[in-house]
Amino acid sequence: MPNSKDDAVQQARNDLAKRLKIDAGGVKEKAVEESDFPDMALGAAEDGEMSGQMMTRGWRITLDAEGKSYEYRADKNQVRAYKFKGKNYRI
Amino acid sequence: MNRNNIFIHLALALVLVLVAAFAGQLNRWRKQMPLEVRIVPTSEKKQPTTTEEIALTENGSLGSPEVLVKFRSGVSQERIDQLTAAFHDRVEDRIENAEGWEAVDDLDNADATTVVDQYLKLPEVEDAEPNYVIKLEDFDLSESIRPSDPQFDDQWALANSGQKGGKEGADISATVAWAKTTGSDKVVVAVLDTGVDYSHEDLASNMWVRPDSLAPYHDDQLGTIDDANGFNAIDNSADPMDDNGHGTHCAGIIGAEGGNDVGIAGVNWKVQIMPLKFMNSGGFGNTKDAIEAINYVIDRKKHGVNVRIISASWGSTQKSRALGDVIRKAYENDILFVAAAGNASTNNDRQPHYPSSYDNVLSVAALDRKDQLASFSNYGVKSVAIAAPGAEILSTWLDNQYEEKSGTSMATPVVAGVAALVLAEHPRMSVADLKEKLLASTDPIVALKGKIATGGRINAAKALE
Repeated sequence: MPNSKDDAVQQARNDLAKRLKIDAGGVKEKAVEESDFPDMALGAAEDGEMSGQMMTRGWRITLDAEGKSYEYRADKNQVRAYKFKGKNYRI
Repeated sequence: MNRNNIFIHLALALVLVLVAAFAGQLNRWRKQMPLEVRIVPTSEKKQPTTTEEIALTENGSLGSPEVLVKFRSGVSQERIDQLTAAFHDRVEDRIENAEGWEAVDDLDNADATTVVDQYLKLPEVEDAEPNYVIKLEDFDLSESIRPSDPQFDDQWALANSGQKGGKEGADISATVAWAKTTGSDKVVVAVLDTGVDYSHEDLASNMWVRPDSLAPYHDDQLGTIDDANGFNAIDNSADPMDDNGHGTHCAGIIGAEGGNDVGIAGVNWKVQIMPLKFMNSGGFGNTKDAIEAINYVIDRKKHGVNVRIISASWGSTQKSRALGDVIRKAYENDILFVAAAGNASTNNDRQPHYPSSYDNVLSVAALDRKDQLASFSNYGVKSVAIAAPGAEILSTWLDNQYEEKSGTSMATPVVAGVAALVLAEHPRMSVADLKEKLLASTDPIVALKGKIATGGRINAAKALE
């Protein structure tokens, strides 16, 4: 669980680096904005996952790596990769 | 009398018949209730009156500026729109079965009689009249119908007085319903969620506790679990304590103790909340644990617990046949499954949301305090049954706190709560009849027309007729 917004961004950067098999230095923070997500899985449920249908405040994190943009979603409870190669992942 | 006049008179006669029928129904409600109910214009303050007064014959100015305007035959809709726009008004709806009549909303909130006069001067207008509001008057607020809970004024879903910019009367008519029943501790509602803070000051007295006469839960795979306070399907333990807050919020909507001078009032002042935990501290869980928790409910029902409703404020877009099957099994055991329609602002007819889109489920959309479909709410004229308040809903939270939250998660327990009220009055009602009763107990809402099956907001008072 992230302790703060900065922590969430760092967790997202590390995760993306791992998925792309590159050094974390190659992942750049493009934007971090507060956002309301449609449910408690931040609109990024994994397969087979159910979530509370309550509007949830969190951060939408956009990262750049190898010329492409990637979206992560986070709140104080979780960090999720959103549609990374078509699938959601809770990290 | 020429032919046009005959049609006009026939139309007006039809309107009067419909009004008289509605007034008669209100009178029947009055006779069924222990306290006085009468019909008043919205602007009228409470004054001593007889129960026979009907404001349809009065000419006082109205709190609602809406007027009914009959445009002459042949006036195009485009011209009507031009005329109303010129007055800074808006056509809200065409009135079915009263040809030519349109409901017009005055955006300046001017006095209704002034607005009527404006329209009567137009050559395109044949007739106009104020749209008298017919409503069940709030009961005497000094009586027990209004709970003593200090934060009740913020519970617009139960009694919307227009607080915080809301629309007066856009609520579930809870104060009227409570004249008949405030619930029963013989009705058990399962809250299938993140668990429930069963020690919360406003919930503790309404929590289900396994009676000594009932043996602990036994499952061939899980073994025996001492389910004194419910069931935790995540770790298959006996402790369903909430570590998120979502389930506690839903539980408070259904059954925060009413009239106890503490916090808020639930739709039911008295009820038994059976807490079930299958979602973790983050507010998410998996299908297998949801199924285990539903199986637990079915088992307890079979062993004599009067658990008749499962409130499910969760979901996803992924279909599970196993989950659908166990929900069907619950229905076959006389348990109503109420589920959130989802918060993606999408049409569930095209992109289903589960479990709300399964058969045998009552799917619930969310309304805001202005009686509009909440901006986030899913909808679907085939797949979403009913709507309830679900935005900025105040309810119980962890650590004896109270918080406002939004989502179809919040609308779902409102409907589950009304279902529990109905069962308090009609304990032997079958699940099929209960579902049918709820679907027939709505107030039509313009914003829901063509959006959900009933086109209406749940009305607790109607459900208790």
